[in-house]
Amino acid sequence: MNEVLNQAIVSGLLIGGLYAVMSVGISLTWGVLKIINLAHFSFVLLGAYVTYELTTSFGWDPLLALLVVIPGGFLTGMIMQIFFELAKVDEFQSLIISFGIFIIFQSITRTIWSADFRRIGGDLNRYESMSFFIGDIAVQVAPLLAFCVAVAIAVGMSLLLGRTYFGKAVRAIVDDPEIARAYGIDVRRVAVILSGLATAFSATAGVFIATFQSLTPNMSFGWFGIVFPVVILGGLGSAVGALGAGVIVGVAAGVATTEWGPLSASLVTFLILIGALLFRPQGLFTRESST
Amino acid sequence: MTTRGKALIGFAVVAVVLNLVPTLVEAFDAPGFYVTFMFTAFFWIAQAVSWNILTGYSGYFSFGQGAWFGIGVYTTGILAVKHGWPFLLALPVAGVLAGLSGLVLGMVVFRLRKLGGEIFALTTLAIAFVLASVARLYSFIDGGRGIFMTGTPLPEFLGDFRTAMFRMTFVVAFLTVLTAYLLYESRIGWGLFAIRDDEPVAHGLGVPVFRYKMLALGINALFGGLMGGVWSLQIGFVTVDDVFNIRVPLFVILMSVLGGMKHWMGPVVGAVIIYSLTDRLNSAGLEDLNQVIIGGLLIVLVLAVREGIYLRLRERWKLSLAVFAAAMAIWTIFDLATSLIWDFSYASLITVGVALLPSRRRPGESEPPSAGVPQTAAASDRSPP
Amino acid sequence: MSRSVRRRLQLLAVLAALALVATACGGDDSSDTTAGPSATTSTTAGGGGDATTTTEAMNDEPIVVGGSLALTGFLAPTAAIHKVAGDLFVERLNASGGLLGRPVVWDVRDDESVPDQAASLYERLISEEGVDLILGPYGTGTITAAMAVAEREGFVFPHHTASLTYAYTYACHFPTWPVGLKTNISNPNIVYDALEASGNPPETIAFVMNEFPGTQLIAYGPPGSDEGGAISEARKRGWDVVAEINFPTGTSDWAPIAAQVAQADPDFIYVGALGVDGPNLLTALDAIGYAPRGHFYQWPAPGPMLGAPNAEGAFSVATFEPHAPFTDDPEAAEISQQFAEAAAAAGLPYTAFETQASVSWVAWEVLVAGVEGAGSLDQDAICDYLINNPIDTLLGTIDFNPDEQNYYGDLSVVKQIQNGEWIVVHPANVAKPGTAPIL
Repeated sequence: MNEVLNQAIVSGLLIGGLYAVMSVGISLTWGVLKIINLAHFSFVLLGAYVTYELTTSFGWDPLLALLVVIPGGFLTGMIMQIFFELAKVDEFQSLIISFGIFIIFQSITRTIWSADFRRIGGDLNRYESMSFFIGDIAVQVAPLLAFCVAVAIAVGMSLLLGRTYFGKAVRAIVDDPEIARAYGIDVRRVAVILSGLATAFSATAGVFIATFQSLTPNMSFGWFGIVFPVVILGGLGSAVGALGAGVIVGVAAGVATTEWGPLSASLVTFLILIGALLFRPQGLFTRESST
Repeated sequence: MTTRGKALIGFAVVAVVLNLVPTLVEAFDAPGFYVTFMFTAFFWIAQAVSWNILTGYSGYFSFGQGAWFGIGVYTTGILAVKHGWPFLLALPVAGVLAGLSGLVLGMVVFRLRKLGGEIFALTTLAIAFVLASVARLYSFIDGGRGIFMTGTPLPEFLGDFRTAMFRMTFVVAFLTVLTAYLLYESRIGWGLFAIRDDEPVAHGLGVPVFRYKMLALGINALFGGLMGGVWSLQIGFVTVDDVFNIRVPLFVILMSVLGGMKHWMGPVVGAVIIYSLTDRLNSAGLEDLNQVIIGGLLIVLVLAVREGIYLRLRERWKLSLAVFAAAMAIWTIFDLATSLIWDFSYASLITVGVALLPSRRRPGESEPPSAGVPQTAAASDRSPP
Repeated sequence: MSRSVRRRLQLLAVLAALALVATACGGDDSSDTTAGPSATTSTTAGGGGDATTTTEAMNDEPIVVGGSLALTGFLAPTAAIHKVAGDLFVERLNASGGLLGRPVVWDVRDDESVPDQAASLYERLISEEGVDLILGPYGTGTITAAMAVAEREGFVFPHHTASLTYAYTYACHFPTWPVGLKTNISNPNIVYDALEASGNPPETIAFVMNEFPGTQLIAYGPPGSDEGGAISEARKRGWDVVAEINFPTGTSDWAPIAAQVAQADPDFIYVGALGVDGPNLLTALDAIGYAPRGHFYQWPAPGPMLGAPNAEGAFSVATFEPHAPFTDDPEAAEISQQFAEAAAAAGLPYTAFETQASVSWVAWEVLVAGVEGAGSLDQDAICDYLINNPIDTLLGTIDFNPDEQNYYGDLSVVKQIQNGEWIVVHPANVAKPGTAPIL
């Protein structure tokens, strides 16, 4: 039994990295820009489908899709933020508008690729179930790569926010956009860049999902139950938090699945979440100061 | 007569008129779907209005409507089907149980710590997921087997299924809207608006903040659960995935924001518009386009009428009513569409167009509210004429 | 048409008059002036109502078959197959002279995979749109909700994909998912017979079941009964059940489940799989270096299974596969061919005319046979005809048995992935010539 548990913990840890990449974009835009951007779910989806298309139609290695997906996501995110800036919406309205964008993208995806399942076959996709062993424990490569990306994002964002002028500007905006503006910070420009980064992160998650899961447009609804706990546990606006929370969610679900069966996984995850909300409402990984 | 007196008479008359509909539909041999259409609208009205009592009035954003709805659905399902209770006996239990759950949540999140609105929102989001997992896990609730509601006996005096659904959804929706109105006009309403505008200030002014918030949350959950209880019959086969998903919580938000969260009538208007739109847009081969249209409309409407459609229509109610009546008349007389529901939907859409016209007096056009903070109520909305 | 206009006008007039009273009596603060526009409505409406005449329906007017499908939502991947199948059936039907000499139109709406939405749509199709016939939607929940409407309205209800056989008691429901009333007993036994026929039946078996009511029925039998299902039937054969894992729909991390399966290391894995549960489990198993020795999937999406690692040798149940002997009948061969073309044109990735498409096809055949047998669109007559007469279909002759809630025994066959293709391997009389189950 112990071996099974160890495997579940390692797999949970790795897939937690993927959860983090899926969630960090939403966390950043929500925490910093005060936009609850449901459209990020469609960017994850689009990232996955673009990877599918590049792989199956042009024979690309799935990870090469990152070359298209990251700049594409960055651009899309910037355009979207420009739209949000022009529209001047509050949090509630952003929720509705981004939901509108979400279902429009969802429909576009369905129109192009149909509602039926799409899967990159093993012949085109060597990452599908690629793994190596440490002792008896299998380490899957695709989630491991996603985990590394999550670490890179967390470290990168920490450096960016902690060590640069851009980071100072972002923190000033979180504290008070009006004062930031008064100090001469180009709030709009900072927001546009941040949204571009966030969207690129979300689209990147899609690339990894495409390497080992079957795709269907509606799968994005299933991500709500993963992304929201990660965003909340990690604390809004925190990339490091998203990574930590992703790992907690992944490992907790893995352990629960092993010990009490798959049906208990989501219960355990959400009980942890509620406990965390009640006792550390600012998120597990952020300092108390900001609110 | 006082404004409230007049309004209450209005409520009574509306109740009588609406309740004639099933009889009229039968007398005129009109499509039975007219009744179904209306009771589905009642469902959404009750869900949206009850949500708005908490979120619109007090400013505490809730993602938890699906939880109250789901508790209601499963309570009637378990009691009426698994334990053979009479449906009408199970129904109030569904409401009470949902209400109590709301209060328990309130006890924890409102008292344990000074939680911000954001944390409240996130907690409510998590509750529905927890309930779904619990329902999956325990077979006395669901255990993955689902509950068959079709064939649940209903008392004879309610009439056939359609009429019975109409009567039950009507009663719940009516009580919800009436409660929303009475609260809106009462001191409690003022207290809740004060909380929405600035909670510490409200507290300082002597508003019993905790009690009022608990009340709003309890009422929200009560009516959400009550209507969920009724709705289990329309679902027919109740499963975890069909009940605890994001459809209900998301749609009540869309409906209320679109209709306007600052007036008790806003969610009613929003619910009717969004429900009739999605219902009518549903036709063959266009499913992708439909979703694009709905998505686009949401974006346009939110941007064009930020304070909600209802307040905008009310501002020019004469024009709106005239346009609605004229459109309704034109569509019916010239037979431009195939049924009254189509006529009604076109007329509504055109009337919403009136709301989109630029505002004449531009008072609320000022700065958009700063992010995250609930908008302060425009005082003019509230003052009796 | 014009009669309906008059009725609507009258109804509207009454409503307008009532609304007039309502608004006049108070309502909002605007009581006295509202009368204007409402009054206008009521008079014009009343006046317009007289000038209409009545006409009878013309005989070349199309017969409208109403129905919904989950064109969006979580059931949409498979519903897309049923859309293509239905469109093709109607096209062929009209090309061969239609129904009762009239063309047929399929008015299909999107129920968004939501049961109450499906119920509402069927209500609407029957009473507002006035469709002549109805056909069931796709999926257990939506079918159940729609069937309640059909029963209330007295409409014949052929349906293809409802999994909870024990629960359907409506006298005029006609299931074409041919699995028998006691599918929890019959279906696994058909599979187990195939395993025995391989000459190498398993000694140990693990059950990995989706917590979906249909697969739970297969595993355990109806709730509250002691009939049992796949698990108890396996025990009856003396097989050792070494693992029993239930997982929720939408499981995202399969590694812990795979680890448990690998540790149990059964001779055979029975997966109560829907959609892409199969490929997900296989991928996770492969990632931890485990290849199952024998494995079965209940209702997998056929396409993605073929590309999954170690999918070779996977079993499933089927009703039709586009190869001999199923395609010995030239019409069946032609249908398979045309379906593949239509599915490709609709952008579906996997275009074989197999189980899902074939049960959809049979539902249409049943509906058409009922109408032609009854010689009219009278619902009672159609229902009577279908109950009392054997119906020739693509899957052979079906004889709806009212003593078994209109089920008619389990016609499922067993298919297996061999050389990268799904082929039927059991029972021998329908197996692709020269093949047998391999374990």
